[in-house]
Amino acid sequence: MPALAVGTDGSARVKKALDVELFFQQLINGLSLGALYALIAVGYTVVYGIVQLINFAHGEIFMIGAFGSFATWVIVGKPTDWGLGMTLGVLLPVMLLGGIAASVTVAVMMERFAYRPLRGAPRLAPLISAIGVSVFLQEAVRLFFGWIPGMPDAKSAIPYPTLTGVSDGSIQIGGVTVQASAIFTLVALAVCTVFLWYFVNRTKTGRAMIATSQDPDTARLMGINVDRVIVAAFAVGAALAAVAGVAHGLRYGNIDFRMGFLAGLKAFTAAVLGGIGNIYGAVVGGLVLGVTEALASNYLGTTAWKDVWAFILLILVLVFRPQGLLGSKAVDRA
Amino acid sequence: MNAIIPSEHKIRFRFVGRGTGITAAVLMIASIMLPWAYTGAALDDVSYWASPSPLQIYFAILAGLLLVLLAVPLVGKERLGKYAKLVAWNSAAKVAAVTSTVMAAVALISIALELGGLINVMIGAWLALGGAVLSIIATRYLPDSPEPRLEDVASPRWLQILAVAVIMAAGLFAAATALGYDDAGSFLTFAAFLAGVILVLKSFGFFDWLSIAGAANNRVLVLSAFAVAFAFPFTQNGSDANMSIASQVLIFAATALGLNIVVGLVGLLDLGYIAFLGAGAFTAAILSESAYSTVNWHPPFIVTVLISGTVAATLGLIIGAPTLRVSGDYLAIVTLAFGEIFRITMINLDGNDGPNLTHGSNGIPAIPDLNFLGFDFGVSHVILGVDIGRFANYYWLMLILLAIIIVVFTNLNHSRIGRGWVAIREDELAAEAMGVNTFLLKLLAFAGGAFLAGLAGAVKAHHDVSVTPDQYIFLESAFLLSAVVLGGMGTVLGVLIGATILKLLPEKLRFFSDYRLLAFGLLMVIMMRFRPEGIIADRRRALEFHDKNEELAEEVEEELITHHAHLNPDPKGFEL
Repeated sequence: MPALAVGTDGSARVKKALDVELFFQQLINGLSLGALYALIAVGYTVVYGIVQLINFAHGEIFMIGAFGSFATWVIVGKPTDWGLGMTLGVLLPVMLLGGIAASVTVAVMMERFAYRPLRGAPRLAPLISAIGVSVFLQEAVRLFFGWIPGMPDAKSAIPYPTLTGVSDGSIQIGGVTVQASAIFTLVALAVCTVFLWYFVNRTKTGRAMIATSQDPDTARLMGINVDRVIVAAFAVGAALAAVAGVAHGLRYGNIDFRMGFLAGLKAFTAAVLGGIGNIYGAVVGGLVLGVTEALASNYLGTTAWKDVWAFILLILVLVFRPQGLLGSKAVDRA
Repeated sequence: MNAIIPSEHKIRFRFVGRGTGITAAVLMIASIMLPWAYTGAALDDVSYWASPSPLQIYFAILAGLLLVLLAVPLVGKERLGKYAKLVAWNSAAKVAAVTSTVMAAVALISIALELGGLINVMIGAWLALGGAVLSIIATRYLPDSPEPRLEDVASPRWLQILAVAVIMAAGLFAAATALGYDDAGSFLTFAAFLAGVILVLKSFGFFDWLSIAGAANNRVLVLSAFAVAFAFPFTQNGSDANMSIASQVLIFAATALGLNIVVGLVGLLDLGYIAFLGAGAFTAAILSESAYSTVNWHPPFIVTVLISGTVAATLGLIIGAPTLRVSGDYLAIVTLAFGEIFRITMINLDGNDGPNLTHGSNGIPAIPDLNFLGFDFGVSHVILGVDIGRFANYYWLMLILLAIIIVVFTNLNHSRIGRGWVAIREDELAAEAMGVNTFLLKLLAFAGGAFLAGLAGAVKAHHDVSVTPDQYIFLESAFLLSAVVLGGMGTVLGVLIGATILKLLPEKLRFFSDYRLLAFGLLMVIMMRFRPEGIIADRRRALEFHDKNEELAEEVEEELITHHAHLNPDPKGFEL
């Protein structure tokens, strides 16, 4: 409590200033958390937009990305004292690439073996298959990650490395503390959104994706290889999820084989909130969800309830605005 | 594998094949007179000369089946006349050869693993396996049999009832024996034997006939099944461990049947179903006379169980009413979110983050045993000289509850409501256009399924003694779902089998417990890929998964038209 609080109206003014600071603090926390959700949510939305499938195992792809980047860090030699330049220029990109390689590989294999054979089956079938994949991937990491030479046992949480300038230290703006990892997450989201915009609107594969999502049969007639487009959608989603995985590790300082479940569920909420099938909707939805969660945990009951608020938000959106904030293609599919 | 042998070879070598197969079967039967293992520590002691253990006798039964299937057409084809054509002798023999090989291999591997090395496997086991492999090769040279048409045989009533009774007794014997094995090797060998006999009988055409015999004597079938299940505790000699597994299986099966209404009949994927079981359990725990109960009202159990069901059904309405309008995948995620909301809320109602109702993650322990009209469930009784322990009491209670649920399920399934549900599952838009009130029917299924889970939860609270939020995680919902999927969506028998497999296997295969979830995830993917309709397929449901299969479509159509005719078998059919 600052010492300048003198008299009744003075302390009220200080309290108000603190309230404003607290609000902005929660806003920043919420935005960085929301950026994490947004990065994962893009994966749900891209896949849904093209094959109308909720890739229930996408949370696990995010987890694999985190473990992949961790494994890369171990392979590089567990560096902890590289300078800022080396960390930003070499270590971080290498870890990101390692994570992306792991998650994209798993996602493409998953599409090939679990989802592609079920295309055209009743909608229950791929969803149940996805639950199976999700449980399988969690268990595979839990049981077998430690078997890889040099890797720690993954049956409990693994401490994630602290990177110089990326996840240690913070910036003070007024009374608001911004963690370095939060800045990393927000920057990553901005870069990924720009990349995504470019990819979807300017590349051939991206435009094929738009065409396929609008009308897969006509797209096929126009000479688009729909199978390849679907694989590309899974790969793009997985790459962004891997970035989110790195961000998660830097933010919380540890990774866990179970981390994908709740994060995946929240990210799905974000995708629905923004309008599933709409890529920018996923970004907006993620940010809105993060801020809502942070503010709700501050103003509505204790932090123990924050997940409950997120899910209630999901239900409310589905009831009152099923097309999401930015609108989506179609919602009421049986 | 059939394609490897050209058909002209099958004609030319058919007597050679049959003769070799019979020799192989005789060798297999003879092998049980030889020791299979060096010491008696594996597979309930198979180390004696000329003194076969039960497991070896089971192997001989399987081999004997093979012998009969190969020998009868040779000696009796003329005498059997037209009946000989109704049975798929050769197909059944091929299946018998393969399954006895599997059984011999499982036994051999078990002996090797339990005694530490192949050196401990004695001549008998090698002879058994060798004979079985030889019989596979031999039966490959038999010509293919036509599809079995045993169901065309019109048999006298007494024979049908006898068959049903024998099958039920065999089921009781199999369940009691399977539960009785403590080591994984014996259990797996016995399971291989059971699967072998079932598969042989299936390819023989026996189950097609039995299902018609059963349908014609529906009441006998249901009553005898219930009687057998009721008699089960008497086979266990007061073993609380086995009865605990059995009563857990029943609780799980009852919950899975409730989920089966929602998923199997209406086609709504509910991923938070465990929350309704939890709601029932927590309600019953809070209203029980536990010292940790947070409410000062302790009604008798008959009231509690109804309140538990009602609470669960109300939750179902609250979650269903707004979300059932958005269909399909969205519902799955909303119910999943609801399951998480329930769990987190139960953790948070601990007095710190909310009012104290559940003691947070500690839950409510020390729930007293049920006391029903003066009958204390916690006390052992001696009936007919057999000790009937605490879990047997709960087993019987759950059995009654399960019977009620099955009656409700089958009656609903054949009612106007059930037809409306199936119509929604197959095509919601078309159903709505036909005047089916889809929203109300979906809500009814959702709330009804929740009510049943609430009832089961109320018993579970007393059975488990304590209720904690961590029993009601998403994985449990996934397990329930996989019991439904594995067994066969929309069927009663399938879900009972699925629930039994999923609860029994982890109890008996402890060494496997670390890989249990991995196998479970893989199983779900493989099932969806190769047999999405489950072990026991509801034919109509199967058609939805294989909509290109014209033959199946015609069969289902015929079945629907002649559904009632099947209840009265054609009098013009063959007389046996």
